[in-house]
Amino acid sequence: MRYGKLAPWLFITPTVLGLVFFRIGPIIAAFLASFTSWNVFAPPQWIGASNYVELFNSGTFWMILRNTLVFSLIYVLGVMVCGLFLAILVNNRIRAITFFRGLYYLPVITSTVAIGVVWSWILSPRFGVLPNVLADLGVHNLPSFLGDSRYALLTLVVVYIWKMSGYHMILFLAGLQNIPEEYYEAAKIDGATRWQSLRHITLPLLSSTTFFIGIIALIQSLQSFDITMAMTEGGPNYASATLSFFTYINAFVHFRMGYASAMSFVLLVIVGIITFINFYARKYWVETVD
Amino acid sequence: MKRNLVIALLATLLVASLSAFAMAEQVTLRYFMWDPEFQQMEAELIRGFEAENPNIKVEMTALDPTNFWPRLAAMAAAGELPDVFSMSTGYIDTWARDGLLLNIQHLVDRDLDLDNYFYNVFAEDRFPNKETSDMYAIPYAWVGSVLFYNQDMFDAAGLEYPNDDWTWDDFQKAALALTIQSNPNRAPEQYGFWWYGRYSHVEPWVYANGGRILNENKTRIAIDDKAKEALQFLADLTNVHGVSMAHRDMAGMRQQDLFPLQQAAMWVDGSWMVDHVRTVAGDSFRWGIANVPKGPSLEPGEERSYYWPDSVGIAATTKHEDEAWAFIQYLIGANRPVETYMPGKVPIYRDIAYSEEWLQKDQQPGNMELILALGDTPVRTTFNMGWSEWRGYASTGGAGMNGELDAVTNGQQTVEEAIEKITRDGNAVLERYYPEP
Repeated sequence: MRYGKLAPWLFITPTVLGLVFFRIGPIIAAFLASFTSWNVFAPPQWIGASNYVELFNSGTFWMILRNTLVFSLIYVLGVMVCGLFLAILVNNRIRAITFFRGLYYLPVITSTVAIGVVWSWILSPRFGVLPNVLADLGVHNLPSFLGDSRYALLTLVVVYIWKMSGYHMILFLAGLQNIPEEYYEAAKIDGATRWQSLRHITLPLLSSTTFFIGIIALIQSLQSFDITMAMTEGGPNYASATLSFFTYINAFVHFRMGYASAMSFVLLVIVGIITFINFYARKYWVETVD
Repeated sequence: MKRNLVIALLATLLVASLSAFAMAEQVTLRYFMWDPEFQQMEAELIRGFEAENPNIKVEMTALDPTNFWPRLAAMAAAGELPDVFSMSTGYIDTWARDGLLLNIQHLVDRDLDLDNYFYNVFAEDRFPNKETSDMYAIPYAWVGSVLFYNQDMFDAAGLEYPNDDWTWDDFQKAALALTIQSNPNRAPEQYGFWWYGRYSHVEPWVYANGGRILNENKTRIAIDDKAKEALQFLADLTNVHGVSMAHRDMAGMRQQDLFPLQQAAMWVDGSWMVDHVRTVAGDSFRWGIANVPKGPSLEPGEERSYYWPDSVGIAATTKHEDEAWAFIQYLIGANRPVETYMPGKVPIYRDIAYSEEWLQKDQQPGNMELILALGDTPVRTTFNMGWSEWRGYASTGGAGMNGELDAVTNGQQTVEEAIEKITRDGNAVLERYYPEP
């Protein structure tokens, strides 16, 4: 059977159409919307760069941008360290290891709302398990982890890390099992300690996995929304809000579509810059097993 | 044979034209409401309406508020609004401004006997001026602000129950006496009162002192001295007297659970909480409702109650104005079963509100007529365009004026500092909705 010149185009048409209508189209529409004042019910009005001007003059926006960067930094490092630690822990052939792998993975598949509610109950200053147990042990005046603007964001990051570490554990585990056993045997014969093996064999040979996890975790952190909504609703006074949450609030609570679109484009630029730096820096630190 | 055929043909034609005529007269109204819990009863109400109006059919969709507004907004954008839909006080000004709601003033004037309704409540559905402008929706129910109090705790402390002669000083003394803290290292096990920055906790005190949060036109934040006095009074209850919990300490709890779980002896909130208190507290303690105590700076003639309606509106795009209006009259009138009103939500139709079934004297609090009296006093509210944004509401409940007052209860700022930020940030929002002429 012979294919004409048209055939390949016909085959990719469905994908291209999907891409145009459901990805590129909305992106262009959102970009144009970011130059309008649009509350959804009434037709949009062109206001030039006013949304961007308002955004960069807003103290709340800068605070939320800072929150987002702090959140991302701690989250990415947190899931990497915890994920790797768990992966090394379960990269064993002891009995019931699959049980522990499943156990650590459990938070990933647990309902986000349930997690939010349970953690709120654990941390609630008045009825929470943690403050009450500690109070019985003589530790009083614990801060309000969710209600105090100084701690709310950090508390949220910890819960997000707790939920997602299992996912990154699986990725690291795949990477670990890809490292040939001989390297460790050779190192052992040469008298390397466990730390030296980790530092000079495991980490370099895991670097491609680490790179991948870095990108995935960064995207996850910038999309953080569900636990925030369930636990603090971005409060108190936006102290635990991140950009994606604030975009949602402006778009679907205040119905300020233009302003929210401008915000999402700022987020897009940030993701773009970080991803670019990451890819550029990749050649300096990522090694492969081969 | 031929004659029979002609008769048969004529008969067929007659039937066909009659049914075509009937079809042409049949109108289908689309109705969106925001309370799926009452869907069943609402459907029964609709069946009653359809029986009385055989040419009108009503298709109802019930969505909870979280889904209701995004869906309605999308329909508004597409010019596909349902003929009749539930309308919130928080959105009415924006929707009326954007031409989405039908001006129903001429219909109200033509068809309603206003003595049958809590007419003062209609004010909140007027736009742009709440006293003189036309109505763009009509209430079917309303709620007012009351002081909930735990009678068992009052008895245990040997205190008289709150009454209409109570001053703020009396209130504060009672709150102090009702606060119990046996271990100084731990939080009080019982608070005398509970408040935070929420609109239904704060505004009733401001109005009880004759104060204003907004200017006369409701276009800018202009917190006056009487309002400041009220805010300072509330702040001192938390920070100086320790009779109310700091906002940060209620994290992980629902604010509406503190009173029914007997963590606080008194609480000011909307009367619809009657249902919640009954559900959560059951018969575990005796409780009552009273009026919010009048403030020291309230002058005669300044009395304003804080109440607000749940309304229904007609889409400006409807092709069936008369049918939609007939349906709305049925929804807000004498036919509506009292069971479709959550306890504490007052029917707009007086006879239903004053009925024994609504007053439920055999159930706590036993003095629901106190809520009804509010509806006959003039109203004041803060609802305007951008309200949820500057005031902080629902999923932004931790922001806006709410957030600033919460920070006061947390001891992070003074009332003066909070007022400065509320005014600055709130007016930045309001300038977008009400630009300087």
